Amino acid sequence: MRSIDARVGTITASLLMTVLMFSSVALGQTEGQEAEPFSGAALLCLGPIFLIILPFVVFGILWTVVTPVMFLYGVFFSESNMRKRMDDIVQRESASIEHFGKDPLSTLKGANIIGGISESGLVYASFVYSPSHWQLLIARINQLFGGRVDVMHRVISVGRAEAKQRLREQAQIAGWQDVLNVRIDTAEMTPPSNPKGSKAVEIFAYGTGVRYG
Amino acid sequence: MQHIRDGIMVVNTETIAGKVITQNLGVVGGSTVRAKHIGKDIGALFKNIGGGELRAYTELLEESRNEAIARMVADAQARGANAIVNVRFATSAVTAGASELFAYGTAVLVE
Repeated sequence: MRSIDARVGTITASLLMTVLMFSSVALGQTEGQEAEPFSGAALLCLGPIFLIILPFVVFGILWTVVTPVMFLYGVFFSESNMRKRMDDIVQRESASIEHFGKDPLSTLKGANIIGGISESGLVYASFVYSPSHWQLLIARINQLFGGRVDVMHRVISVGRAEAKQRLREQAQIAGWQDVLNVRIDTAEMTPPSNPKGSKAVEIFAYGTGVRYG
Repeated sequence: MQHIRDGIMVVNTETIAGKVITQNLGVVGGSTVRAKHIGKDIGALFKNIGGGELRAYTELLEESRNEAIARMVADAQARGANAIVNVRFATSAVTAGASELFAYGTAVLVE
């Protein structure tokens, strides 16, 4: 209730100020004085309105400048950035495989383990990856013809590889020797109910880290 | 140990190796809805056009996941459990930039 009261107060005050502003300008004109549109009273009334509009104007300018720049960046660099990231993941992957002696991740539940397990605990990692608008455009064109949409496939595989690699690194930090029962969840950050949100996928990998003993 | 949260072992396997489940205390869960402030949202909006990792959202999800797990653990503690097995996660995006994270599992007593 209190917030509603405050809102009503603000609206009334701004309305009053607007009326005051117009009347002062009108008065100035009828009295035949020099035209002075930004007199003290008018400035006092316009001030809050400017303050409200200013963030929108700044955002609008930012939007018109940054959007084409980022789009062009996506056109020229999104594919090569993705390839670079994939190479990076492959390198880190071989480093962790060297550390563990094998790939630690498995979807088995541990029934196959003959020796004892001394400790176990949850380990998880997440990664949010977004295709560039250029890639989305290519995908849209691909969709017209049907068949494979390779761009999206590449984006999502990079995302998954990165999430899996982060899971390996988390396991390495926590000192686990193996990660059992690994599950990989994919969540869209843009649900169908909100088509205007960011076009990104969230990949979440989790499993149970174990230590043998 | 880092993986034992407030005296409760959390795993996503059906059993805890080397331990025996003596009592089932029911399903426990914890959820949280979180959002980044508008500055980070605008940053992610621009990053989204160029493509790549949206680090603000990765962090957001990591924080909320930790919070959801902490709430689940608190729920299990209230029931007097000492472990949670078969933990699952569910995500839903309520609106752009805000996401609901839900963690649930079975609270048990192990020996």
